[in-house]
Amino acid sequence: MIEFKNVDKWFGKLHVLNNINLKIAKGEVLVICGPSGSGKSTLIRCINRLENIQKGEIIVNDIPVHDKATNLTKLRADIGFVFQQFHLYPHMTVLQNIMLAPINVKKIAKNEAEKIAIEKLEQVGLTDKSGAYPAQLSGGQQQRVAIARGLAMSPEIMLFDEPTSALDPEMIGEVLDVMVNLVSEGMTMCVVTHEMGFARKVADRVLFMDEGKIIETGKPADFFDNPQTERAEDFISRILTH
Amino acid sequence: MMAFYFSRLVEIFPFFLKGLWMTTQIAFISLVSCTLLGFFLGIFRSGSNVFLKRIIGVYVAFVRGTPFVVQIFIIFFILPDWGIQLKAFPAALLAMAIMGSAFICEIVAGGIESISRGQWEAASSSGLTLFQQLRLVIMPQAMRVILPPLVGQYVLLIKDTSVVSVIGVMELTRVGWVTVVRIPEGLMVFSLVGILYFVISYPLILLSNYLERKMAL
Repeated sequence: MIEFKNVDKWFGKLHVLNNINLKIAKGEVLVICGPSGSGKSTLIRCINRLENIQKGEIIVNDIPVHDKATNLTKLRADIGFVFQQFHLYPHMTVLQNIMLAPINVKKIAKNEAEKIAIEKLEQVGLTDKSGAYPAQLSGGQQQRVAIARGLAMSPEIMLFDEPTSALDPEMIGEVLDVMVNLVSEGMTMCVVTHEMGFARKVADRVLFMDEGKIIETGKPADFFDNPQTERAEDFISRILTH
Repeated sequence: MMAFYFSRLVEIFPFFLKGLWMTTQIAFISLVSCTLLGFFLGIFRSGSNVFLKRIIGVYVAFVRGTPFVVQIFIIFFILPDWGIQLKAFPAALLAMAIMGSAFICEIVAGGIESISRGQWEAASSSGLTLFQQLRLVIMPQAMRVILPPLVGQYVLLIKDTSVVSVIGVMELTRVGWVTVVRIPEGLMVFSLVGILYFVISYPLILLSNYLERKMAL
């Protein structure tokens, strides 16, 4: 469903993605971890071309994402993206946030879009907040709305870029719960996160990155209990000791 | 004495109303064109096309870095040498549009740039086209930043219409000039000119103050 072939990317002189080869199957849940600056966010931002690559190919659903001629609108409509900082639209209510893309991209009628939005709000447990503005919500609630906003487009893939890193500890659980539910619905997901409990519980595969390279990949149990490389071992010991 | 002044005032007043009408026309047409052109330029000035950005940057720097009177002289007296002959009224409108759009361009670009990249990214990753992102997500937020200084700029532009008197457009200031060489009551003439400008500027000053307070919330 998602395929990286010999992908390279530079930010100036910094080699952020170094010969990435990766295949993600339909329905797979992939967790990407690694030290900061290792290129993990860049990796998933390339999937819907929030970042351009300089070399190689990225194919998503048979669409060549790396090709400059590709119509991004169609591609992006099928991929939900959840940001670390939520990025809800502050001038719109929760409901308007969720309805915006269905109405304007998919051209769904307004009352139909509202029905979908309410349904998605139910899914993230926030039906009572439909008329609120983002600034009136807690971080955890905002992130759940952001997930509902992504889901409203009925995407085939959901990408999460450190979805809980900006949250207070007591709010992390509510966001992870929503994500676990998504997994059980069979959503294809790529999640950049340091939540190792989440990774162990639901990931099909963990991918460890450092300095722009994929260092190690494996089943979560294997990766956490029996890392193959010293760098991975070092990383795991450091995030688990806290 | 007062009665004399008053009769003079009554005598010249229709003439001033004509000038005020001309000033209002210039102001209205140029505010509309400055706004349209300024938003158009400002959107590209804040955009990702480096070439366009630079070109607009040069335009803005040139316009902001030269006196308005000089710009009017160039349009009215120098352009004819290159075969572009404009009457005073259209020349005045063109000069106003060029000058005003440069200032408005900077206000608009500043407003757009104040919106975080994350808003663009959220909007674009949901599949909205560039134009939709701008119209539905970016501009509604940027307008809060743009509106107060924009209305403030309108006040400046209205007052700047007085400069077009130098090429003979019969607007309010020109009317003042013409009147004052015929009658001795100079103080009265230019007080009247000032008051009439104030009458159109002041509501906008109030509006600007109101918007500033409202948008700060």
